[in-house]
Amino acid sequence: MTDRRSLFVGGAAAAAAGAALFTPGQAAARPLEDVLRANELRVGVNPTLPPRALFNDRNQIDGFEPEVAAAIARKLGVPLVLQAVGSPDRIPMVASGRIDFVMGAMSRTSERAKVIDYTVPVHSENYGILAVAGRGHTTIESLNKPEITLAQVRGTTAIPYIAHAIPNAQVLLLDNYPDRNRAIAQGRAQASFDGVDSVRFSLRPFRQVQWEVTGIAEYGVTYSGLGVAKNNHSLRNWLNIALYELHVDGTIERAWEKWFDGPMITKVPHNAFF
Amino acid sequence: MSYTLIYSQVTGHIPYLLAGAWLTLQLACISFFIGWAIGLVNASLLVYGPRPARLAVRAYVTFFINTPLLVQIFFIFFVLPDMGILLSPYAAVAIGMSLNAGAYLTEIQRAGFGSLRRAEMDAAAAMGFSLVQTIWYVVLPHIAKALYPPLANQFIIQVMTTSIAAIFAVEELTGRAYNVNSLTFRALEVFSITAVIYVLLTIACSLALALLGRWLFRVNAKVF
Repeated sequence: MTDRRSLFVGGAAAAAAGAALFTPGQAAARPLEDVLRANELRVGVNPTLPPRALFNDRNQIDGFEPEVAAAIARKLGVPLVLQAVGSPDRIPMVASGRIDFVMGAMSRTSERAKVIDYTVPVHSENYGILAVAGRGHTTIESLNKPEITLAQVRGTTAIPYIAHAIPNAQVLLLDNYPDRNRAIAQGRAQASFDGVDSVRFSLRPFRQVQWEVTGIAEYGVTYSGLGVAKNNHSLRNWLNIALYELHVDGTIERAWEKWFDGPMITKVPHNAFF
Repeated sequence: MSYTLIYSQVTGHIPYLLAGAWLTLQLACISFFIGWAIGLVNASLLVYGPRPARLAVRAYVTFFINTPLLVQIFFIFFVLPDMGILLSPYAAVAIGMSLNAGAYLTEIQRAGFGSLRRAEMDAAAAMGFSLVQTIWYVVLPHIAKALYPPLANQFIIQVMTTSIAAIFAVEELTGRAYNVNSLTFRALEVFSITAVIYVLLTIACSLALALLGRWLFRVNAKVF
C-alpha cells in the first residue's frame, strides 16, 4: 500500500512538473505599446560571443550588440536592460516576454524563421577557413579528408554546410570560440570553417601561433537580425524603421569598426522599403 | 504571441537523440566502474594501509571532492596537451569523470568498510579462516549489503553528470540536444524530449540496479 501511495504521489508530482514544463501558460511577448508603458526595453545578448557581447573589466555586459541595443533604446526613449542569454534559453526568453528581442549572432535561416521573427539585418556574417599558417588548409577541398578534424562551435550555422560540403572531415563540436581556437592551436584539430568577422578579436590570446584566415566566397554571406517573438508585428515594424535609421546615420557601422577592428566585410544593403 | 509548442518539428531527431543516450550510458558505466575500482583500492588503503598511503589517498579525495568536475576535465582536455599529452575528447571526459567518481566512491566504500563489526572479524579468526576466506565469506557479504544502495545512487549521479561531456566535444545526449536546438530553435520541445529520455534512462537503470541488487546481494532496493 505504501509503495502504491508513493508511486501515486511520485506520478502526480511528475505529471505536475510535466504540465508546467509543457504548457508555457500565460507567457507572452510584449508588443510595442507594452514596452513603452513599462518604460523599459529588455534585450538579450550572449556574452560568450565576443566582441558581439562580452563582460568588460567592470564585469558589465559590453560590446557591439549592447552598443546597438543602447542606440535602439535611445530612439525608443526608454531605459535599456540587458539580459545575458545562452543558446538554449534565448528563444523561450523572447517567447515568454522576459526579453523584447534577442541579439547574439542571430543568423537568419528559413528553419529558424519558423520559430522566431527577424527584423531587417543588423550585420553580415562572412565565412572562411581558420587554420595554422603554412599547412595548406585554405580550400574546402583541402579540408574534405578523413584525416582532417574541424573544430567548430556548437550551434553555429556553418555546421549544416560542413555536413553537406565537407562530409569527409571529422567535426569536433566545442562550447565557445576560445575553446575552438585553443583546440586548433594545440593540434587537436587542423582547421575551422566558420564566420571570420570576429576572428581578429578572438585570436588575441593566441599570439604565439601563426594563423591563416582564408575567406570562402562560395558559402555566401548570411545576415543577422534581431530575433523578435513570432507575430509581434508592432515591435518588429518599429525595430525595422529604427535599424534603417541606425544604418543610414552610420551608428551600426561605427560600432562595428570599434569592436571588430575594421569595417564590416560585406556591407548590409539597407533599404527604406521592407 | 505566446509560444506554440510544435513537437513535429523535432520528433524526426529522436533517433539521433537516442544514439546520444546510448553514449551517455556508456560513459556512465565506464566512469562508474573505473571509479569504483579506484574507490575500492583507496578505501582499502585508508582502512588497512600504511600512513603514507593514507595521506596520499586523503590528498586525492580532498582535491577531487573540492574542485568542480568541469575544472578537472578542462585541465585534462586543454592543459595536458600543452605538456605533450593529447587525449581524445571521449578519453579525456572518461578519465576526468572516473577520477572524480573515484573520490566519492572512496568515501562511500570506506564507510562500508567502517560498518564491519569487530565481532564478525573475531568470529572468522576463531574459526580459523584465512585472509581470503575472511574477505570472501565475512567482509564482502556484509559490506555488499551496506554499500549497494549508495553505489547504485552514485551510478545514477554518473548518468546525470555525463551531460558535462557536451562541453568537451562528446556527442552524448545533452550535446545532441544542443545541436538539434540550434538547428530548429525549438528549445522547449528539444529539451523536454531530452528530459523525458533522461528520466526513462534513469528509471531503467534504477530498475536494473534494483533487480541486480536483489539477485546478487538480497538488497531490498526500491525504485519508487
